[in-house]
Amino acid sequence: MARERNISRLGVLGIVGCVLIGLLSVRVWFLQAIDAPGLEVKVREVRTRTIKINPERGRIFDRKGRIVADNERVLTLTIERAVIAKPLARQQMWNRLSGALNMTVTQLEDRWASKRYDQLQPLPLKEDISEDLAVYIRERSEDYPGVDVREEWRREYPFAPVASHVVGFLGAIPAGEKSENYYRTLGYDPDARVGQFGVEQTYESVLRGTPGYVKYEVDSRGRFLRQLERKEPIPGNDVQLTIDLEMQQFTEQALQQQIMMRRRTEAPTVLSFGEPDPRYPEVTYYKAPAGSSVLMNHDTGEVIAMASYPNFDNRWFNAGISSEKFGQLFPTTDDPDMSILVNRAISGRYNLGSTFKPFVAFAALNTGQLPGGTKYVLRDQGTYKLESIPEERCQLNVKCVFKNANCGNGAPCKYGRVNIETALAVSSDVFFYKIGEQIFTERGNRPVLEEQVRLFGFGSPTEIDLPYEYIGTVPSRALKQRLAASGAIAEEEGKGYYVGDNVQFAIGQGLLSASPLQLAVAYATFANGGKVLRPRVVKAIWAPGTPNGASNRVNLDEGLVIQDFGAPQVVRDLAIPPEILDPIVRGLTRVITGPGVRSDFYHATTGEKLFRSFPKRALPLAGKTGTAQGAGNLPWNDSSAFAAFSKNKKYPFTASTYIEKSGFGSRSAAPVVKCLFTALIGRIQVAPAVPSDPLDPNSFEVAQPQSLPNPLCLVGTGSSVRD
Amino acid sequence: MARTIFTRRPDSGLGNIRRSFADPTRTIDWILMSAVGALTVIGAFMIYSATRPRLLNRGADPYLFVQRQIIFVILAILVMIVVMWLDYVQLRGNAELLYAATIVLLVLVFVAGSVRGGARLSFDLGPFAVQPSEIGKVTTLLLLAGFLADDDSKTVRYERFIQSLFIIALPVVLVAIQPDLGSASVFVACAMGVLLVAGADIRYIILITSLAIVSVVAGVVSGLVKDYQLRRITGFLNQNSDSATLQSLVTQVRFAKRAVSTGGFFGKGYLNGPLTNGAFIPVQSTDFVFSAVGEQFGMVGAAVVLGLFGVVLWRIYRIARMSQDRLGYFLCAGVFTMILWQAFQNIGMTIGITPVSGVPLPFVSYGGSHTIAFAVMIGLVQSVHMRRFR
Repeated sequence: MARERNISRLGVLGIVGCVLIGLLSVRVWFLQAIDAPGLEVKVREVRTRTIKINPERGRIFDRKGRIVADNERVLTLTIERAVIAKPLARQQMWNRLSGALNMTVTQLEDRWASKRYDQLQPLPLKEDISEDLAVYIRERSEDYPGVDVREEWRREYPFAPVASHVVGFLGAIPAGEKSENYYRTLGYDPDARVGQFGVEQTYESVLRGTPGYVKYEVDSRGRFLRQLERKEPIPGNDVQLTIDLEMQQFTEQALQQQIMMRRRTEAPTVLSFGEPDPRYPEVTYYKAPAGSSVLMNHDTGEVIAMASYPNFDNRWFNAGISSEKFGQLFPTTDDPDMSILVNRAISGRYNLGSTFKPFVAFAALNTGQLPGGTKYVLRDQGTYKLESIPEERCQLNVKCVFKNANCGNGAPCKYGRVNIETALAVSSDVFFYKIGEQIFTERGNRPVLEEQVRLFGFGSPTEIDLPYEYIGTVPSRALKQRLAASGAIAEEEGKGYYVGDNVQFAIGQGLLSASPLQLAVAYATFANGGKVLRPRVVKAIWAPGTPNGASNRVNLDEGLVIQDFGAPQVVRDLAIPPEILDPIVRGLTRVITGPGVRSDFYHATTGEKLFRSFPKRALPLAGKTGTAQGAGNLPWNDSSAFAAFSKNKKYPFTASTYIEKSGFGSRSAAPVVKCLFTALIGRIQVAPAVPSDPLDPNSFEVAQPQSLPNPLCLVGTGSSVRD
Repeated sequence: MARTIFTRRPDSGLGNIRRSFADPTRTIDWILMSAVGALTVIGAFMIYSATRPRLLNRGADPYLFVQRQIIFVILAILVMIVVMWLDYVQLRGNAELLYAATIVLLVLVFVAGSVRGGARLSFDLGPFAVQPSEIGKVTTLLLLAGFLADDDSKTVRYERFIQSLFIIALPVVLVAIQPDLGSASVFVACAMGVLLVAGADIRYIILITSLAIVSVVAGVVSGLVKDYQLRRITGFLNQNSDSATLQSLVTQVRFAKRAVSTGGFFGKGYLNGPLTNGAFIPVQSTDFVFSAVGEQFGMVGAAVVLGLFGVVLWRIYRIARMSQDRLGYFLCAGVFTMILWQAFQNIGMTIGITPVSGVPLPFVSYGGSHTIAFAVMIGLVQSVHMRRFR
């Protein structure tokens, strides 16, 4: 064999070899020396899987320890997302799971596609599975790789629908970038359920607790190799309400029953020249769509009961119902009468009618508006003609004459000589019209009345620890401008603030609006001698895990209070001197007890007949009815208001009730308040609070109807005067 | 055939002097042997560490694959000894026959081969699979080297160049349409190396290389190249891609790179590599075996493996220079290119400088066919070495 070879060509090959090996070496060195630190972090990330452990949410119980919001442990089936990342693997997994879970493949696929669930956490496939199913799946982990059972908590409301407006409910994080970001920064999962109403919302941060986690080392298929770290969750704090659940239930029953009764009551016929007005139906029943009631302790500001109707069962929010069903139960509506998810006791925006008069009386006395103060006497002839408007303008288009309410005979009541006490007792509009005019005109058109009534908290938030509180409005030039700008009143009307506005204001009509809670807080101010209190529905915050006691209660003796809100929070102390307070309280007392005045005939006070059978000696009351005119000033659009407080130091309670479109204050709202006070002194049976029946998911009732076991306290003769 | 193979004994022509300095058994290149042996031992350890977590997950014996590999290595050693024993010149006499058999096997694999990952690459023989393309590497090299060595000239004439192209083109096409572009590229690289050393005109080589590239592009455009082959190239060009279709490919390389990278200087220690233990890297015992080296033994381990390849290539280079005839010379050059190209391609894809191609790392990766094929190649090289004094 010859030895003809190209050694140089072999050299080329050798050089190529050196270059390639060198290239590899440089690249390896580069990877390990330069890229390594950054990649090390990434490797640690993909190798560990952190699973959040949600804490048990704090419980909510009433002032006597009855558990109104509890937690039930539920099992949720989850699957590692990595296991089902590939469509084929996912399809096979769904096919295997759909039988066991009793879900269709489409439902499972929808879950997978949904953005509601945290993309970094295992996907929840089915909530509230049975223990048996959990065991079945766990025993067959080879067939169901990545499928796991997670323990979670479900909120239970054992006494629902009682107090559901106060307790609230949990819901998904509200849509919208702002709220989503807010909850994300607080560390919530996108599918977390957060407090959306009531105490569940305001005390979300207290109730929530701190999530824990387990950190696992995982392999490429997401299977757990070993546990690295575990941090137990810290349960949320418990919350004790100031609400007494039995009183709450009683209040709701009384309110609801009264509303039902008013719906079966005929409104007065509209007369035109003594005949029924042909424009209206002869018989109209009150619509009485809604109402609310507040019972509070006027020494501490604690709310004992707070009812709002229409009410709802807060268990619907975690009943897992479809959105169509939810839409049927809670229809979206523009009709304010229909809205359910509104706590009217704090969000209602109402004319107060004559219930507002005591504050005008205070303004008059406090500013020295009445010559001689309590000794000042006015002759009430049933009508009041504005004195500050020249006669010729009255002839044109300015309303100068204001009337009292009609006295049965079709003519305005004439109460004769009235002082401030009597004016309150018989609710003389004329007396207050005069105050309304003169407090304005004689003080250079300055907003004196506005400033005075604002002292009682009208027009500003009560700062109750519940969401969606309505601040209320007090008539003023600025308010009119604002309303005109927003189109609520005519632009022409918003131009200025006139005498007529102040006159309407003085009898609680016109642009004055307040919530029933504001009314109660303001009356409480008279009851306690001038302290405007901040109302509260939460009494104390307790350390997590208050032990259970007997009969659906926690054992308060073994719990630990972390924060006590028991001390009254005084927003403002008016320190009303007796010479101002006493005549007002006397006038309000006469509303309940009489006597009225004799002028032509005996004019009873508005509450006199109703409270005739009430044990006034045991529980002396002072209160005031009110009838707010509604659309077209038609009788069936009258809304009924009543507020009263106890003068017995042993029972430091103030109550207010407002029932929409249900007639005179003394006929609709006052009987409810009367019932509350009757119950407070134990003169009528209060049904014990017992856990309600399980929610029937097929039902179409938003809440189980409630009624008083003994409705006798609602019975009584109302006044025939619209005040 | 057996008769002709054994007519010329290795010690024939030496009279009755036994075990002279020229006795082939005394002139084995032990440095080459040790380097290859070391790579094989490292390979066995890596195969164990890379397959253990998956086997444990399945509840199987963690030694399953390493045991098989040891059996392959024993078989490979036996085959190598036989090849060493035979004279490569004798083998050249049977090259056409072996080549023809290979082509038959490559065709048969289309009919009887088992499908894995979208390609028909191997015959399924119970627990083992025989991959004819690996056998083809040796037989094609043998025929090509023999064919070129027949003409005793310092250059390759044009007709012979074209003829040798046909020799190589047949198996390349058959392998490429399996499809296994990685192996096909090894054939081409090997042929280029042999032709280069044989003295072919550099222009021919450049021409034919461009032709190969053009045909690959044409294959892609015409759809002959399967989608996943194409993705390997696009995945290589976009290593940080988020595209869903490239995802599995890109993450595969990404994890392999991370494994090498996070090994650091001394590595995480044997059986302590988190990505290896977590089975994060697909086909780690075959295609990505270098990532196991990098993660567990770090830069030191990687340097040792690269160094051993350097030693292997250096020894083959040296043997090529010492060879007594053109055939031995070409064979060595072919084996040199083949090992170089395959090692470069395999390690390169692990560390992200070449596209993913599925070629095993010589001597290290798990797999019977390629272990035996490379043993045969080393056997041939040793055979050349042993007979250098002839």
